[in-house]
Amino acid sequence: MASVYKTLSKSMNGGKPETPANGVRKNKQKTLLLPSRGTTFRHRHLIQDIVNLLPTAKKDAKFDSKKKLFLLNELCELSNCNNCLYFEARKNQDLYLWASKVPNGPTVKFHVLNISTMEELNFTGNCLKGSRPILSFDSAFDQEPYLQLIKEIFLHVFGVPPGARKSKPFVDHVMSFMFVDGKIWVRNYEIKETDPSKTKAGEDGDEEVSSKSSKGRNKELDMSLLEIGPRFVMSPIIIQEGSFGGPIIYENKNFVSPNQVRADLRRKKATKHNTRVDQSTDRLAKKGDLGLRTNGGKKAPVDELDSKKLFA
Amino acid sequence: MGRSKLKVALAHEKGVDFKKLREKKTHKERVHKKQKKAGANGGTAAIPENASDDENGWEDEDETEGGALIADEEAGDRSSDDDDNEDEAENPDLAALDESDDSDSSIEFEKKIVRTPKAKVTSIVATASKKAAEEDDEDDEEDEDDEDIPMSDLEEDMEDEEREELNALVRSRTTINNTTALLASLKRIALPTDKSVPFTAHQSIVSAEPTADGIEDVQDDLKRELAFYGQSLAAAKQARALLKSEGVPFSRPTDYFAEMVKDDGHMARVKEKLVEAASAKKASAEARKQRDLKKFGKQVQNAKLQERHKEKRETLDKIKTLKRKRHESGGGDLGEKEADIFDVAVDKELKSSGYKNGGGRGPPGGGANNKRQKKNEKYGFGGKKKHTKSGDAVSSGDMSGFSAKRMKTGAKPGKVAKTARLGKSRRQAGAGKR
Repeated sequence: MASVYKTLSKSMNGGKPETPANGVRKNKQKTLLLPSRGTTFRHRHLIQDIVNLLPTAKKDAKFDSKKKLFLLNELCELSNCNNCLYFEARKNQDLYLWASKVPNGPTVKFHVLNISTMEELNFTGNCLKGSRPILSFDSAFDQEPYLQLIKEIFLHVFGVPPGARKSKPFVDHVMSFMFVDGKIWVRNYEIKETDPSKTKAGEDGDEEVSSKSSKGRNKELDMSLLEIGPRFVMSPIIIQEGSFGGPIIYENKNFVSPNQVRADLRRKKATKHNTRVDQSTDRLAKKGDLGLRTNGGKKAPVDELDSKKLFA
Repeated sequence: MGRSKLKVALAHEKGVDFKKLREKKTHKERVHKKQKKAGANGGTAAIPENASDDENGWEDEDETEGGALIADEEAGDRSSDDDDNEDEAENPDLAALDESDDSDSSIEFEKKIVRTPKAKVTSIVATASKKAAEEDDEDDEEDEDDEDIPMSDLEEDMEDEEREELNALVRSRTTINNTTALLASLKRIALPTDKSVPFTAHQSIVSAEPTADGIEDVQDDLKRELAFYGQSLAAAKQARALLKSEGVPFSRPTDYFAEMVKDDGHMARVKEKLVEAASAKKASAEARKQRDLKKFGKQVQNAKLQERHKEKRETLDKIKTLKRKRHESGGGDLGEKEADIFDVAVDKELKSSGYKNGGGRGPPGGGANNKRQKKNEKYGFGGKKKHTKSGDAVSSGDMSGFSAKRMKTGAKPGKVAKTARLGKSRRQAGAGKR
């Protein structure tokens, strides 16, 4: 009954809370976060950190399949999410992140490197749970189309729309995305404002009132940043046009899979042994050619003046 | 270029004619496109990415995308979409009821695009606005990709491939960078972040110049983090100015308490870590200081010992001279003699010089009796002597006689320099010479 009343009163007022005056639809984001099977503790902590930072996030149970990723679309729809962050762990060490706009895509697949969670970093920064972050992007994000797309997805996933459900009214942290070395580096800082003169009176009370009138005074506040964590680096691999499917519209040529890297390392280590084996076989062959081996290889020509021949 | 050499060879083996294939493909696509066009005209008049899309903004793209939709689904969607615009006071329909129930949690989904299994069709739909221009050069997907690859990339690829052939390593990767498709997807999902919307709607800031420019070496942690910090700080300052100008509360008042990202336990741990680090630093500094002092302290101790020796010698000299004086001046005077026996003058002299007689409990005349003194030392008259030579905590803790340097040189602590006392034979020889 209450809901009927609510609807009626809403329609009576003619108010459309979803659509402001200029006809732009309200920006609503909800993100489903879920890991695959086989994540390590560090991956789990990273996911937990991200969940803590995002009021729009919804965490789900481990996703079992690594092949049928399109099932994630249905999962998202079930939990009313329009973004999805799927953390896929492989070989108990590599972490891949799929960031997707459900249901129509696009999807970006990243390889996540250099993970340091809040737990292990021991940074002194802290921020309100659910306060809206300032998203700081490197200007490199505006230069390439695929980076523009990635930036847009980050804006949806990591940005908190105004008036989101669990969000808090103040702004006290910055989330920064840098594009360096072909990879995207993510940092998270607390904004710390300190008054250099230490004589600030009634700042909290008349914040809104004084915001315009005494801008000069507010400007005097020194600003410094304290890192909160977590830290991680993402290397984009592919972008798909659909959500967990569809044609690949971008592929990072420079990406080398960690498996390849490990294999190369192993091969490099193995070369030492291999060269040694090669050398020994070469030496044996050489000896055989010279007739210095008892069995196998060429026999040395029998000399007529050999003592064995002479005194046979 | 799109096909690898291996593939080409294989095709050649099979006797496949690429030209024929391509013709077939283009024909197929033409047919596809015609069907598409027919469908679009049947559904809505809108063509993807037409002009109306721009003015309506991002939220209307559902309808425009709907060109590729099944008609009935579209109709259903429209009813829920457009009910805002209808006069709801008159007929609050069921859809509105549902909406209000979960208005807090519901997310406005994009309408699902129905994709044909053949993937490349969608990309062509996305670029359909240019179809008039593309009418003659409808190529298959590979060729489309080729167009997107810049010439420099091609050359690079060639070099790469040659190198790989040399290395006998098959790790060929073709770049896919379908710019048109990327931009189309971007346009589809883009939220407005330009001047038309308030900053508070998105709170995103793009830095003035790429951060990578400020970093010479990515491995240099300090410089890299500094550059990151710089970018973030600039963004935060800019954001504060923008938010303040929009009248949005920025800084948290001191009396606003709420749940934090890191709970109190975590912060306590962080603090503990900090304290620990600080105390460790302090302790190491202290230890260093002590070590230095010790090095210096040895010298101080030596100086003190020497001084004490010197003092003793001086007092003894004084006593000697005093005695001599007495002898020279002294006659058979009993009073004088008595004073001599009891060494009153010496005592006086010593007292005046401040020398404390350590002789202890001898006869009141002083420690003249050397034998008695020794016996006292040995047998008593000075407290318990038992266990005096056994080690205790203090003595074992006393490392003043120990020097790592001397230990390392291998010199025995008790041994003196060789020149101090010659061997017996040499001593005797020397004595003979004398």
